[in-house]
Amino acid sequence: MRNKLHKRRDFIERSTLSALAFLKDATFAEEYANCKGFLQSLDPRFKTITFLLFLITAVSLKSAVLIGSLYGVCLTLALLSSIPVAHFLTRTLLFIPLFSLTIVLPTLFSVVTPGEPVWSFHCLGIHGVITRPGLDGALLFVVRIATSVSLIVLLSITTRHSELLKVLRVFGIPQIFVLTVSMCYRYLFLFATMVENIFTAVKSRVGILSHRQHGQQVVAWNIANTWNRTTQMSEEVYMAMLSRGYTGEPRLLSEFQATPKDWVWLVCAVILCAGLFYKGYTL
Amino acid sequence: MSDIIFELKDVQYSYLGKFPALCGVDMTIRSGEKIAVIGANGTGKSTLLQLLDGLIFPQNGHMTAFGERLLEHSHADEKAAHRFRRRVGLVFQNADIQLFCPSVREDIAFGPLQLGVAEKEVNRRIIEVAQVLDIQHLLDRVPHQLSIGEKRRVAIASVLAIDPDVYLFDEPTAGLDPLTVRHIIDFIVKANQRGKTIITATHDLHIIGEIADTVYVFGRNKRIVRGGSSESVLNDRLLLETNNLVHIHRHHHDGMEHVHQHLPLEPHD
Ligand SMILES: Nc1ncnc2c1ncn2[C@@H]1O[C@H](COP(=O)(O)OP(=O)(O)OP(=O)(O)O)[C@@H](O)[C@H]1O
Ligand SMILES: [Mg+2]
Repeated sequence: MRNKLHKRRDFIERSTLSALAFLKDATFAEEYANCKGFLQSLDPRFKTITFLLFLITAVSLKSAVLIGSLYGVCLTLALLSSIPVAHFLTRTLLFIPLFSLTIVLPTLFSVVTPGEPVWSFHCLGIHGVITRPGLDGALLFVVRIATSVSLIVLLSITTRHSELLKVLRVFGIPQIFVLTVSMCYRYLFLFATMVENIFTAVKSRVGILSHRQHGQQVVAWNIANTWNRTTQMSEEVYMAMLSRGYTGEPRLLSEFQATPKDWVWLVCAVILCAGLFYKGYTL
Repeated sequence: MSDIIFELKDVQYSYLGKFPALCGVDMTIRSGEKIAVIGANGTGKSTLLQLLDGLIFPQNGHMTAFGERLLEHSHADEKAAHRFRRRVGLVFQNADIQLFCPSVREDIAFGPLQLGVAEKEVNRRIIEVAQVLDIQHLLDRVPHQLSIGEKRRVAIASVLAIDPDVYLFDEPTAGLDPLTVRHIIDFIVKANQRGKTIITATHDLHIIGEIADTVYVFGRNKRIVRGGSSESVLNDRLLLETNNLVHIHRHHHDGMEHVHQHLPLEPHD
């Protein structure tokens, strides 16, 4: 009985802590945004637009080969931007397409996608047939997901999040919204650190929480306490903003500078996408 | 007297109406003065600085700033608020609170931009301020990932970029290494030499001689128990002892342990 409770508490604690670790990791990933490389040297506005273009292309094309070539472009860009390919692949290929596989798996079979059978098998008294159209469709889907995810990850790890937010502003999103999002992001981090510290502090004082009721109390008290601290903090942050002259409408720096290189890159990207589309229609 | 910046008469403030933080404070601060406010934890130093920065307002008593009475609604007008903000800058005790922008550069730019400084000038100030505080290499970093000392420098930079006449520092040297403390003290002294008024809250007696000519001691009753030249206050052993401001050292001598109090002006044995 006690052992079971113990496990449950451990589980909650572990999942909380690993979620926090992930959050922090996402922030620290800025190490690639600060490296010197091709994508890092581009103006964030141009980078975002071209990546959106690639994304639209990847989603619209109906040939796995063409999408695959876009994936190749993506990997080359990663190489040119001094991102370790192994890291990039694990982050994209392993993680997200796993989800898509579970969606795709059923469509392989004749029950869902009828067509020319490729392989049939008997398992646990069930007769399954994998069909050619099913296989093609699944391949297309997986390649498309892998490419889209890689593009998004590549954009986000080669651009500082403050710059991505600024791009939002360039695209006409109101400043107050952008400032709010950026503060949320920042306080999420502070909040994460705070919860982590509370966990450590409680542990160092109480040792291992073996009594269930006590554990629940600590969790409930922490939620209340964290809430109080956050509201207190937001009041203080507001004061800090007031102190530096904030009167309701934030004004922020807008300092993007496009170079000829950015324009060349934009033209190249448009030609590439147009070419892929043309190929896709004539195929 | 036109050079009086702040005048406080029997100022009282309590949080939520039940946690008293200031219970009748009288103070006169003139332009160009170097002032320190010392006192144990919870004696109302931070509250006083927030009051001087026009972030909270006296609930009782009388307070004027730059010859005008400071009231809750005096900052409702944007022009009046900006005029005040251009003249007074506060470096908060908690740098984590003060830095809320996504990058150091933007945090430094925030104040001047709000106050209507042109972008070209703001960019010039960023470079200048970064050089003064030696944080050029941090400009594109995320503020909350910096060390405490780095954050403090950035926080000071973000106020320096506004270039106010009055600087309020809340515990500027707490938790910093000796070299960084040195830099910050030098910064304060230089600013004062340029004619800036400096008001520092601290409980670090060692730095007071340099950063203040006048010292106000806050007592546990949340009032000023003594105000005077920094020399006279630092030499008043009884005053410092009763107000919890004396360092207590524990030493080992020849296997025997002895405890003694340590005042900042005494040589340390
Ligand atoms: N937000 C708040 N809500 C309620 N009470 C508060 C709040 N902030 C401060 N107080 C109370 O007001 C009093 C003065 O606090 P203040 O922060 O001004 O002290 P301080 O001298 O700056 O202390 P420290 O040296 O620890 O920074 C304390 O008794 C404190 O408990
Ligand atoms: Mg304080």
